[in-house]
Amino acid sequence: MKLNFKLGGALAAALLLGTALGGAVSAQTLTMGVRAGPDSIDPHWSTLGSQAETLRHVFDTLVMADENLNMKPGLATSWKPVDDTTWEFKIREGVKFHDGSELTAEDVKFSIDRIPVVTGPMSMTIYTKQVKETKVVDKYTLHVITKVAAPTLPNDFIRLFVVSKSVGMDARNEQFNSGKAAIGTGPYKFVSWEPKGDFVVERFDGYWGEKQPWAKVIRKEIPNDPARMAALKSGQVDLVNYVPATDYASMQKDKSVDTFVADSVYFFDLYPNQKETLPKPVKVDGKEITANPLRDPRVREAMDLAIDRKTLVRVVLEGLGRPANQLMPTHFFGGSKNLPERAYDVAKSKKLLADAGYPNGFEIDFFCTNNRLPGDGAMCEALSQMWARAGLKVNANALNGTVFFPAQQKGEFPMWMSGWGTLTGEASYTYGSLVHTADPSTGLGAFNKQGYSNPEVDKLLQEGSRTMDDTKRRALFEKATEISMNDRALIPMVQLQTVWAAKKGALTIPARVDQETLAYEIKPKS
Amino acid sequence: MIGFLIQRVLQALMVIVAMSVLVFLGVYAIGNPIDVMIDPASDQALREALIHRYGLDRPLIEQYFVFMNNMLHGDFGESFIYRLPVIGLIWSRFPATLELALTAMMIATCLGIPLGLWAGYKPDSWSAKAIMTFSVLGFSVPTFWVGLLLIMTFAVELGWLPSGGRGPVSNVFGLKLSIGSLEGWSYIILPAFNLALFKLGLLIRLTRAGTIEVMSSDYVRFARAQGLSEGKVVGLHVLKNISIPIVTVFGLELGSTLAFAVVTETVFNWPGMGKLIIDSITVLDRPVMVAYLILVVFLFVLINLVVDLVYGQLDPRIRVKAAS
Repeated sequence: MKLNFKLGGALAAALLLGTALGGAVSAQTLTMGVRAGPDSIDPHWSTLGSQAETLRHVFDTLVMADENLNMKPGLATSWKPVDDTTWEFKIREGVKFHDGSELTAEDVKFSIDRIPVVTGPMSMTIYTKQVKETKVVDKYTLHVITKVAAPTLPNDFIRLFVVSKSVGMDARNEQFNSGKAAIGTGPYKFVSWEPKGDFVVERFDGYWGEKQPWAKVIRKEIPNDPARMAALKSGQVDLVNYVPATDYASMQKDKSVDTFVADSVYFFDLYPNQKETLPKPVKVDGKEITANPLRDPRVREAMDLAIDRKTLVRVVLEGLGRPANQLMPTHFFGGSKNLPERAYDVAKSKKLLADAGYPNGFEIDFFCTNNRLPGDGAMCEALSQMWARAGLKVNANALNGTVFFPAQQKGEFPMWMSGWGTLTGEASYTYGSLVHTADPSTGLGAFNKQGYSNPEVDKLLQEGSRTMDDTKRRALFEKATEISMNDRALIPMVQLQTVWAAKKGALTIPARVDQETLAYEIKPKS
Repeated sequence: MIGFLIQRVLQALMVIVAMSVLVFLGVYAIGNPIDVMIDPASDQALREALIHRYGLDRPLIEQYFVFMNNMLHGDFGESFIYRLPVIGLIWSRFPATLELALTAMMIATCLGIPLGLWAGYKPDSWSAKAIMTFSVLGFSVPTFWVGLLLIMTFAVELGWLPSGGRGPVSNVFGLKLSIGSLEGWSYIILPAFNLALFKLGLLIRLTRAGTIEVMSSDYVRFARAQGLSEGKVVGLHVLKNISIPIVTVFGLELGSTLAFAVVTETVFNWPGMGKLIIDSITVLDRPVMVAYLILVVFLFVLINLVVDLVYGQLDPRIRVKAAS
């Protein structure tokens, strides 16, 4: 650890000197200023997004995802179901690990078996929970046997990193962080890292894929937004991710930087608590009532109609977002193209409230985070003002995530707003967790804390999760999406966009919907 | 002397125990760390399994005693987030914070005391007034704002210095420090100055107030009457007599700089302990939070002990009292 620190520091500094004093992008070294990094170099330790994003440089996954989260071959060249509970993966031939050994199906099996043994509190077992056992058929063929029919297994394996069997079952974070066990098949070899510090890798010449333009890549973790932007402007880094909306506005006038905008998988959704009784009763004309008005679909529709999504995007997000009518992008597997755009109609909203028996509205507490996604706190305030126009008194409370999440889990909120990202690119991940009735025995509806329950939706989702045929499954999920969204099981508000910035004319950065910043997809402009 | 030390150590232990209880209760009140860390795609069974694995389903009192028992055996536990020993994690950040704090204190002292002396020696001159105005700015303008201003001026506009991060480190007295090289200094100078500003303002005002008071005292008049040079009067008699409050404030400020240089470390992306604790708080990494705060208490107790010993050196009257 100490040796590692010294080496990394010295190397990073030597390289930094080159870029900082040189002032221009060197064709050989790419220095990225990123908001967050990994928690470990062990790719099986955590499901954290910035962990996967970082370790993709060193380790490859069995299945890969393009910039729109469509699956593409990774270390597996093809996959197909042999029967309802068996998937066959063909492993790519001629792939070399960084230590020179060859990749075989044994390494993939080892990686799957290793996950439950080593994974931490952000448990990677969510990607292998469908697996019953793995069988090596021959050197390049692997059979994965699932507990029940698992049509989404290949989606899960977008996060299945493959490590070399030679590291052994005993290797833990320390061995990976020191570089001893950090042996992957990826485009870059691990050089050094320390928690919250720089992550340094160098080109692996034996890589099976495209030859890399960068001899060395440095990921500098700079969580503070102004500091990260300053690092770009002072030439200390070649590019930055997560440009804040305010900086984006000024950067468009700045001739020294290029900006890249992408739609993201992250959506802000509103969760109206639909349980029998609310954890804190609403007040009508100053008096608490026992009934929960949010159980009435008319009330939920009224709240929806009072939201002016275009204004939210323009004012709160400075234009970096899109109005949403469902919980994930429409082009994802199971997204619906039939749903209409959500209307903004205060008069109708008032009428619906009156019809439901609340002509003078009611008073309710509303919660959100203030430090997790761009604009979350401001969004909360803006919403409560919009509802005021429809005659509702909504007390907005923006909380730190460390306070918000445990309370949300305990069911302490009558109504809340939260972000959600569909990272696997398909509907069962999102709708299975957020709108299916909460059912600990099947593991479905784990985050359905708002208490929505519709047997029809449950049936569609369960049937979908067992249907191996893609077309049929897609239709089932589309139906579930449409019903739950029309029911306003939760109310989608806006889809966020992400911005990267780089020195003018230096780089091309692909607009990835999962917001990942991957050196091997970033090319120098020649 | 020995009695004094024992008394201090006992005090420290009591503070540490009280601190550990407070931190434990506080973190427990915020909520379950698993709910902050858990991946949204997890199901209920996994959540239960994790809570059980980290012992979070046990009664608070039991969790506390397990922690204290391990700590008494020298084991502060492992970070939830990194699964690395907490002590190693904190220690790896210590050199960065130490050099930043010491450089900042050095800037504050080397500028603050002479400027304060001058401002107190010639309180009516325009230069003294300028110094006092500056000192007000020093502790009234927010640190993060000055930090950003420094970055914009010296890194972005002028391009003289790097905008953040830490320079190359070399081995100085067994610690990995960046002040061993000129390039390392180019990284440390802006954050250190930023961190020093508040202390600079404080030291100037403290020194000035002391100087004005002492300058009108009898022994200064007698020293002058004796024919001593002004340099000797100020440097020997005045400085020595105003040093007690300065040493006290210096000690306290050094402690708080070491423990809570958070804002500066964040703005300048300095990989110190302050950033580690803030990051740990946002994810409720309880072992790191508790261990860190206990170490901070220990640090403050140690610094105060040194300050007390220095008093004795500076003022024989205190030594006499302690001995009796």
